[in-house]
Amino acid sequence: MKLARCFLVFSLATVAVPAADSGNYVESFDTIYNSLTIEKTGSVVELRARSRRGEALESAVDLSDPLKLMVAYTRTLYTGLFFQPQPSRVLMIGLGGAGFHRLFSAAYPDALLQSVELDPKVLELCETRMAFKSTAKMPVALTDGRMFVKRDKTQWDWIILDAFRGGFVPPHLKTEEYYRECAARLTERGVFISNLHSGTELFHSDIKTIKAVFPQVVLFETEGRGNVIACAVKYRTPDMTQPENWAAVEKAVAQVFEGRLDLAALKAEHMAIPKKQVERARLLTDDFSPVEFLDAMKTNNTGPK
Amino acid sequence: MPLFAFYVTVVILGILSMGFQMLGSRLLSPHFGSAIDVWACLISTFLAAFSIGSMVGGAISNLATAPRRRSQFACAVTAVVSLAVTAGFGRGLVGQIEIAFTAVLPGVLASCLALFFVPVTALSTFSPQCVQFLAQRGVAPGNASGLVYGVSTLGNIAGVMLTTFVLIPNFRVSTLLYVWLAVALLNLAALLRFLRAPASS
Repeated sequence: MKLARCFLVFSLATVAVPAADSGNYVESFDTIYNSLTIEKTGSVVELRARSRRGEALESAVDLSDPLKLMVAYTRTLYTGLFFQPQPSRVLMIGLGGAGFHRLFSAAYPDALLQSVELDPKVLELCETRMAFKSTAKMPVALTDGRMFVKRDKTQWDWIILDAFRGGFVPPHLKTEEYYRECAARLTERGVFISNLHSGTELFHSDIKTIKAVFPQVVLFETEGRGNVIACAVKYRTPDMTQPENWAAVEKAVAQVFEGRLDLAALKAEHMAIPKKQVERARLLTDDFSPVEFLDAMKTNNTGPK
Repeated sequence: MPLFAFYVTVVILGILSMGFQMLGSRLLSPHFGSAIDVWACLISTFLAAFSIGSMVGGAISNLATAPRRRSQFACAVTAVVSLAVTAGFGRGLVGQIEIAFTAVLPGVLASCLALFFVPVTALSTFSPQCVQFLAQRGVAPGNASGLVYGVSTLGNIAGVMLTTFVLIPNFRVSTLLYVWLAVALLNLAALLRFLRAPASS
């Protein structure tokens, strides 16, 4: 009987371990898509996903300043402003802990920020633990990121691809065909933004595949984190690989960015495309996408916990 | 005929079945993703095909010689033709099914049924007949059954591992589907020869 009770306790999907300090907690959830951990320490709440190499930080929020960008690469996502400085319709594939959303919606209250998230539990945790609320301006669709892009015909100024399952990116969101589907949903002057992980063969294949669809691709490396943000556009002129052609947004951006986002500093994250490695890399298609084998999963957003 | 060659055909049957499941996941993923719900439908389809194929194959093995041979030939042709349909039109068919269904799960199930159920059912009909083949050659029925399903399952393991770790990382899925078709054609031709051989040989 004792053994059965122990088994029952361990088989519960939710395990909550209250920490010593009042209000702090660590909770684990096994959903049909993810193994998630959410931890509150002081005013900071972190959402992590367990993967083969431990836990990858998906997102974090400081409840005392929810607009603060806690995870370094979410700052780099704002390099999209250099290419499309007036985002009025933004599609974000992968909600995570909505680390990008709070500041964006404060800076652009009239913009539509549509998120797509596969795992309903992620949305629930965002809403109940991470100070996120889906609204008419920030709706969340619970579906696969590829299915959404195929079925929803909206034209977006930005499409942000940030769909990770732990440290792993589903192969069908990495192929030339998918990028073409995304390009078809971008406005003429829109920008496609993808969060990539450097340091693996997959990184070079990712760039090659994005370049196969978008004529211009510019990379920004989040310092010391292994994240590289690729910004890609579907027009050829002007030459957006030259920083002098980027939109001068540093002085024109919202006041809410002050102290939270330094766009001038983001320019310094610009990195060259590793041409030789990209030339040698294999193109990823629906017919050939050995993503799991190319991805050594060496990096996550903060290093192993 | 050497019994070793017979077991090789049984191993290849196992490779064809479960390796096909791994290829199937790659056919479905651009349209429906590759999450656990898609895998649940895929695995259930294959298990249903194994189940029905085994029962049909068991019934065939008890038929008189002439209808048994006709049925064996019909199953082999069905397997080859349906594999050819999957190789030639699989991608397009899944695309059409995805458009036809608003909800994801019915679309996944319909795709699994359209592309994988028939060939795997047809391939599975041969396992009970392989048991019968051994039983007719003096192997006790229980032992024959254990040998065929044991050897076939080793083929299943080889199919999963080979397809996942060697074939998918190096070849296009469309190329592999044609390889499956060619191997199935040759293997079933060899198996039909074994099954038609008189028990005394």
